[in-house]
Amino acid sequence: MSLDYVKFTPGFGKFMPKEYRDMVEHGPFGKKTAVSQVGTFKEIMEEHPMCAGCAMTLFIRLAFIAFPNPEDTITVGTAGCGRLAISQAAVPFVYGNYGDQNGVASGLSRGLRLRFGDKPKDVVVMAGDGGMADIGFAQTLHSWFRKEKFTTIMLDNEVYGNTGGQESGMTNKGQVLKMAPLGKKFEKMDMLGMAKVAGCAYVATVVPNNPRRVESVIKKAILIAREVGPTYIQAYTSCNIEYAIPTDQVMQDAKDVENDRYKFQEYITDEAKEHLATLYGYKEYLPKPAAAVTKG
Amino acid sequence: MYLVANIDQEICAATSCKLCTQYCPEANTIQYDTEAGKDKGLKYGSAYVAVDRCKGCAQCVWVCDNMAKHKAIKMEMIDQIGDQALTPNITYQEKNTKAVLASPWQS
Ligand SMILES: Cc1ncc(C[n+]2csc(CCOP(=O)(O)OP(=O)(O)O)c2C)c(N)n1
Ligand code: SF4
Repeated sequence: MSLDYVKFTPGFGKFMPKEYRDMVEHGPFGKKTAVSQVGTFKEIMEEHPMCAGCAMTLFIRLAFIAFPNPEDTITVGTAGCGRLAISQAAVPFVYGNYGDQNGVASGLSRGLRLRFGDKPKDVVVMAGDGGMADIGFAQTLHSWFRKEKFTTIMLDNEVYGNTGGQESGMTNKGQVLKMAPLGKKFEKMDMLGMAKVAGCAYVATVVPNNPRRVESVIKKAILIAREVGPTYIQAYTSCNIEYAIPTDQVMQDAKDVENDRYKFQEYITDEAKEHLATLYGYKEYLPKPAAAVTKG
Repeated sequence: MYLVANIDQEICAATSCKLCTQYCPEANTIQYDTEAGKDKGLKYGSAYVAVDRCKGCAQCVWVCDNMAKHKAIKMEMIDQIGDQALTPNITYQEKNTKAVLASPWQS
């Protein structure tokens, strides 16, 4: 939880694996790295067992690049595919019981605030749609109602992917899946609407076929959660296995779904805008100069 | 044998789009060498694939063909493409990476 935890004990560097040395020497710690520079610095995510061509993997990869201070961040996850990648990064990862992630993150972020005072320590929850909208639904909503200051990211693949294709609250109506052979009978849940009602200061949808946008919404969500209140990002991260999308068509699918039901939406409270403008120099949120009064 | 992505340096180094590096789902896999191809008079440097990390999904091919419209990436059998970038032979430099190409079959 500080820059020191990634550094080598003097004299021991030479015994460390190359990947580790590269990460310490050329990783993003203590620097400002951006999606536009990928391929030239060592990313903090290492190899993992996620499926080839998985859009969720791409999203998680971009998320790690977007963290404003990876050295001061803790990720929280739960059962589901995402944890297989989230846990393979040089950022401490807490594995909550299935559905507990927002409860665990609440305690963690409060504890960090007590321990470190004003020094920002970011807590980021990343969990699947089943873990968040079904099993962890109460804990998710209650953390928002309590205005817990951390970021919640739903990896929405519209299915229970890790357990082989059951429908979730986030599956679309009529969708036939391996373990929903008659098709889902109910509408996709409106978690975005609920996040707003429950008091999130920032709510956004995003699809990984726009890496720069993924980077921008994650940065904003984390920075706002530091002082203003809970933030929620809902990311479409298709399951190419359960939805039988050929891996080279995953980005085409992301584009189609973005145009269909995942159009970019961003909701930000005035308080959050002011916070980004004054503390982090977001020019687009600076108050507009008052228009010149026209003489009448 | 299995397929991995192979980037044509001549085409890649004539542009500077870097899109594939942002769309590969695997971290530290499509790397960028800003000096590659400069000896041949090409301007921008080139992306290349760490073949030992590539999972063969061909997403980069779709991105290069359909978004960048450069058609610089092809999926090829790993034993047919000669010397390749492998993670142990990649060095990270300031704002650049460089690979000593080697055959995946001798290491
Ligand atoms: C308490 C509990 N119940 C059930 C499971 C089994 N389980 C593991 S992953 C999973 C589904 C995950 O689906 P989702 O949250 O949508 O994430 P995805 O795998 O689709 O990313 C289930 C039901 C568990 N690990 N713990
Ligand atoms: S084929 Fe897939 S894993 Fe391999 S370099 Fe291309 S995008 Fe990355």
